[in-house]
Amino acid sequence: MRLIRNLVRDKLGITSLLFLVLVMLMGVFAPIIAPHDPLAINMPLRYASPSWEHLLGNDHLGRDVLSRILYGIRASVLWIFLALIISVCIGTVMGFIAGYYRGIVDSIIMRICDVMLSFPVYVITIAIVGILGVGLENILFAFVLMKWAWFARIIRTSVLQYIEMEYVKYARTIGLSHRSIILRHILPLTFSDIAVVASSSMSSMILQISGLSFLGLGIKAPNAEWGMMLSEAREVMFTRPELMIAPGVAIISVVIGFNFLSDSLQVALNPELRQPSKIIE
Amino acid sequence: MFIKLKTMFFMLAAITILAGCTSTKVEDNKNTDELVYATVKDINDMNPHLYPGSMSAQGMVYESLVENTEEGIKPLLAESWEISEDGTEYTFHLRKDVTFHDGEHFNAKAVKQNFEAVQNNKEKHAWIKLSDKIKSIEEVDEYTVKLTLFEVYYPTLVELSMTRPYVFLSPNDFKNGETKDGVNGFHGTGPFKLTEHKVDQYAVFEANEDYWAGVPKIKKITAKVLPAGETTLLAMQKGEVNFAFTDDRGADSINIEGINQLVQAGDYQLTRSKQMNTKMIVANSGKSESPASEKNVREAIWYAIDRETISRDIFEGAETVANSLFSINVNYADVSLKERNYDIARAKEILENAGWTISSQDSVREKGGKKLEMKLYYDSNSPSQKAQAEFIQGSLKEVGINLELNGEESTSIANRRATGDYDLLFNQTWGLAYDPQSTVAAFTSEASYLHATKGIPDAEQFYKKIEETLTTIDEEKRKLLYEDILKTVHDEAIFIPITNGNVTVVAPKNLKGISFKQTQYELPFEKMYFE
Repeated sequence: MRLIRNLVRDKLGITSLLFLVLVMLMGVFAPIIAPHDPLAINMPLRYASPSWEHLLGNDHLGRDVLSRILYGIRASVLWIFLALIISVCIGTVMGFIAGYYRGIVDSIIMRICDVMLSFPVYVITIAIVGILGVGLENILFAFVLMKWAWFARIIRTSVLQYIEMEYVKYARTIGLSHRSIILRHILPLTFSDIAVVASSSMSSMILQISGLSFLGLGIKAPNAEWGMMLSEAREVMFTRPELMIAPGVAIISVVIGFNFLSDSLQVALNPELRQPSKIIE
Repeated sequence: MFIKLKTMFFMLAAITILAGCTSTKVEDNKNTDELVYATVKDINDMNPHLYPGSMSAQGMVYESLVENTEEGIKPLLAESWEISEDGTEYTFHLRKDVTFHDGEHFNAKAVKQNFEAVQNNKEKHAWIKLSDKIKSIEEVDEYTVKLTLFEVYYPTLVELSMTRPYVFLSPNDFKNGETKDGVNGFHGTGPFKLTEHKVDQYAVFEANEDYWAGVPKIKKITAKVLPAGETTLLAMQKGEVNFAFTDDRGADSINIEGINQLVQAGDYQLTRSKQMNTKMIVANSGKSESPASEKNVREAIWYAIDRETISRDIFEGAETVANSLFSINVNYADVSLKERNYDIARAKEILENAGWTISSQDSVREKGGKKLEMKLYYDSNSPSQKAQAEFIQGSLKEVGINLELNGEESTSIANRRATGDYDLLFNQTWGLAYDPQSTVAAFTSEASYLHATKGIPDAEQFYKKIEETLTTIDEEKRKLLYEDILKTVHDEAIFIPITNGNVTVVAPKNLKGISFKQTQYELPFEKMYFE
């Protein structure tokens, strides 16, 4: 509750949050709000400039750019969000096991994490795409595989920090089960760290997916994805530069949104970080 | 203080960005004997007896005995030749003034060694039927060689004129008398010599000062690797690169609008060859688990492709609509064939009659629980192929066929073609010098279209007919056989033609003498000069 109250006070944070929620809703309801079929090819409108009928113009096959941007939210934001949640869940479980039980389990999990973290994400993703084939699902799979280790590490550290607290020790002494100690006394505390780390890595994941789609490794044609739209626009970069604007702005604004949100979350969860003027208030 | 620093930093950044924007056009146009051309891929292994190398580069360095021109076969390294009565013995009289780039003399011995090196690696050359027909090659005297065949083979001279493999490398470069396991150098007899090669960066060719047909006027040609079309466009605007042309695989990396923009700016000219080949989709009739093995499906795809729109909108009229595997100006290809024009209703009808039924408007047709789904492979370096693929995907969806698109490197696509691991893929016929004989012969070659044609009913009979065509002396009979072969592949709808492609050259305005060969694979750089 305090979290939301703090967040609401931070104008930038709440604007980002609302913006992102709006974007995600637009993605979910794309079939309803999109003015045209994103896949409908209409050659006479090839490279047409914006008009009332097609607000952002048309691409190289005469498809409506606005509708493609809206449908692109699904691949570029929603699916990544899902992948993020999955890897955060795996990371949390692993981090808790390692941090709470310590000992040999901890060593094993942390060594696995070391191995995973020592590979560069891009290289591994490209390798996985090479083995499993081109496709968004394979990239997301690669991301889940690579990212959980990062979350596990951070969450373990944060668990270690709380496990030494007096009341946790007390809870142990009175014989509460491990499950309820974790769920009731530690998880709520680590939740803030999880939220901050997750929201900040969301933006890097969006950029990475866009990057890989740009290289032609992501979602398959004809489905819309922002990175791929950029790559399609790149081919006519010097003759029709305006085509890069829509997907470019979409990617930038969502990434900026997530960055601001993660900053504000951090402040909201940890009031010490707030700027002096606000404390006085 | 802090704010000042920030402003300064911002200004600095702005200046850097703006500085990057100004066009620093290199004024090196005075240097008028150099060409720098952009290539999507490295020139690769220049060994002329193998296939990974860039053909346009190999064409500059190596030469064959005879040359294929518009007027027919002309002398090149062989001044003249005689063919024996029975058509199995060819005697070539070689030019006496030719030396390899390493100073070695070109003579009958070198010819014999090169031929033997090629013949010792016969499996690699299965597509060129001549490799199967050569019985022996003998030196008659220093400048005369005699080629003996097992049987009559009418395209012999045409195949000897090709860019590879029957071209000549200095015997000093051979490894243990062979070329199949690599060579020590790349010394040919051609107008240009390879002087420097940095893999994936550039290759430099310099004029051969001892060239037998006169020193080329262009002194230096650099092949610069620029994988993306926009970089090429930018490099041409800046003058880093001043020449670009359609590459070996038929991919134009610069888009047509970009070319027009360059030409309008006034520094460049655009030259297009006449129609040279047919760009098409090859259907794998031999893959029995794929719907592409069914004739009706292939026919329906043919009917569902709007070639007019592709030619007009995607190629902006630069390529013309193709209705058959070979355009009628190709030898032996003036055959009357059933026209299959764009007709969505017809495509639907064919599928319906063939038992592929559709449940609702927007779904995929099914037959016996199997969905009408196929994979189409295109060259990821070619923006026009991707656009066509997406366009065709849209049209086929209307008919109830689901097409999955996969963009891959051209080598990977060639590999799929050789192993049969595809449903549909983009390809092109091999150009006037190769059509129809080599392309038809390639129907029987594992590395080319064997998988594609395997599904033809009575395929064995069909392959025998191809064999027969190539060894027939009687012109009339050969004509009939070709007619029969072309009709079969047309009726089976294995090669779904799209457009007739050509070679596009973008060159500096003051470059003269731009001409084309009979193949899309090389350009006669030695004939070009600056004015």
